[in-house]
Amino acid sequence: MRARRFLIRVWALAHKESLHIRRDPLTLYLGLLLPLIMALLFGFGISFDIDHIPLAVADLDRSPQSRALVQDFVAAQEFEYRADLLDPDRAIRLMASDRATAVLTIPQGYARSLDRGETAVVGLQIDASDPNTAQQALARADIMAQVATARIAAEAGLLEKGSGGLPLSARTWTRFNPAARSALFLVPGVTAYVLALVAVLLTSLAVAREWERGSMEQLFATPVGRLEIVIGKLLPYLAMGCVQVLLVMTASAWVFDLPFRGSLVLLAFASLLFMLGMLGQGLLISVITRNQMVATQTSMLSAMLPSMLLSGFMFPIDNMPLFLRVISHLVPARYYIAILRGVLLKGNGVAELWGQVAMLALFALVMIAVSTVRFTRKLA
Amino acid sequence: MTAPAAIVVQDLTRRFGTFTAVDRVGFEVGRGEIFGYLGANGAGKSTTIRMLCGLLAPTEGDAIVAGHRISTSPEQVKRSIGYMSQRFSLYPELTVRHNLEFFGGAYGMSGSSLRQGIASVLEQVDLVSQVDQSTGQLPGGMRQRVALACAILHKPGIIFLDEPTAGVDPVARRRFWALIRSLAASGTVFVTTHYMDEAEYCDRVGLMVAGRLPALDTPAGLKTRFVPGRIWVVRGPGLRGEDARARLLALPGAVEVQTLGAGLRVRVAAQAPTDAAAIQAALSGPVSIDEDEATLEDVFLAVVDANAQAAGASRAFGGAT
Repeated sequence: MRARRFLIRVWALAHKESLHIRRDPLTLYLGLLLPLIMALLFGFGISFDIDHIPLAVADLDRSPQSRALVQDFVAAQEFEYRADLLDPDRAIRLMASDRATAVLTIPQGYARSLDRGETAVVGLQIDASDPNTAQQALARADIMAQVATARIAAEAGLLEKGSGGLPLSARTWTRFNPAARSALFLVPGVTAYVLALVAVLLTSLAVAREWERGSMEQLFATPVGRLEIVIGKLLPYLAMGCVQVLLVMTASAWVFDLPFRGSLVLLAFASLLFMLGMLGQGLLISVITRNQMVATQTSMLSAMLPSMLLSGFMFPIDNMPLFLRVISHLVPARYYIAILRGVLLKGNGVAELWGQVAMLALFALVMIAVSTVRFTRKLA
Repeated sequence: MTAPAAIVVQDLTRRFGTFTAVDRVGFEVGRGEIFGYLGANGAGKSTTIRMLCGLLAPTEGDAIVAGHRISTSPEQVKRSIGYMSQRFSLYPELTVRHNLEFFGGAYGMSGSSLRQGIASVLEQVDLVSQVDQSTGQLPGGMRQRVALACAILHKPGIIFLDEPTAGVDPVARRRFWALIRSLAASGTVFVTTHYMDEAEYCDRVGLMVAGRLPALDTPAGLKTRFVPGRIWVVRGPGLRGEDARARLLALPGAVEVQTLGAGLRVRVAAQAPTDAAAIQAALSGPVSIDEDEATLEDVFLAVVDANAQAAGASRAFGGAT
């Protein structure tokens, strides 16, 4: 009888809340459209992949050999040929005015050195004001130089076929993201970030709204218990959250060509726990602030910043100072991103990810428990 | 009273910090009674009603509502009563039916009993044809009846109404009071208001002033006790000046003179010889003189006055407030 009453009341609350959601275009937009738009915007907008690095060339040698070297650099389209300036100083100015990111200088006598069998030296200057781009440009340039060296050596007959060539050769290959596409790294982070933000925002408004309108008092006058309110409020948003996860995942997988190598069941379960935790966090904010304005700002701060900065979304947690590393353990997005990357890219299962799943479950449990306890049904 | 009272209040006190909102209030409400709770804004009416509904814990004292102590079993209290809060806070974007379904569910109703309850309560408050309209789009009077329907759907024995008619037009108010009287036929009604004319409909009226309950009786009893004597209304030209006022106050047994629009209203002690003829004689010029009845507004003003004097006296004697 008690259990039946409990279910009736939870159902009444959940049904009422779902009617609110259906009748409120803002909630629907916030809950379904916004995460989709954000995921796509972020997915397209943020990319660490660098192609077409603008390259200025100062070819002072003007020989077939020097032109062949420039060809080597631009052939793979990683560098894009912008200009050939005979004056190295003018080339630098081009870089200073952002019209070139790298300057390749081929000194006079390049071809002659090669012909004599001496080591020819060329210069590459890279704009390192953006270290990330500079790093990648540098790495590419190294590969280009190796390719060019091998070509020149072969042409000169220094490397005979079958002679084994250079004494040491490391065979490297990239696993889990062979093309090293940054989208595969970023999209899981974007997904977690967007879902966290929207989930916290949605529930943070749900309870504060009732306080502001005065309907909370009417609700408290009924025999509805606080756990019933908490569960009744969470359920419809959790259902909405599941639709959100599906939408965002499907769209990202399709648009960004995401692989799916692991367990779907594990991912679905982890997503459910993650959403529950974030919705619980929003609820807690709502219960404490009782004010939509404050609730919105608090949820933005508490969901956005940690999920962006302390989750490993873009910045590796291992590189953070100890203090931040410790705090990052309290950020559910950290675990969810690990699960997403693990399942999508590495084909991980429960064996590798149970710890992360447990942390998500713990977070959700704590949020719901604290919300319930802090939910005073008496009026101040 | 043979049956046990519906509400028993003893020394009920609620403090917010150093401010005492409700100060040692005690009374009983019998079954089937319409009990009016009057007072200015901030007198402590809402605080009292919230404590009686189990929404607010008393600082001291206690009350038994529908057989349950509010201090120890507020949940049982909530189950046995209906409460309509100030501002009749429903969910405006939901339809009348959805509001009713929600509050029915909140009281544990479901299935056919819920459906039948909704049908009969809609009949009772005369909103059958509005059932699928959004509550927020209904006029104030109808919204108020929806709120009442939500509060009585689970058939509580006692219903608490906190300023149910605030901001509603006079026609809707009258209609609402007809509803309240029909409710009293099957249960007890506790209603707060600051409309004095509404209080006349109540069986008994408690008057709150600054957290205390200095007056409690039937409307007639309150009038006899706080505004005894006879009241005359004098109308005519030449009554505006202080002169006419002073002459009326000089009559034997005259207690007070109030300005009433263009005329004056004079109250005379019951045993005094002053009558219509005496008043006519005291004033020069043609005037019309009619006997009037005391209202609860007179009672209210008298009680507030007496209270202010008492407070002033205690200050004069160095009593801390």
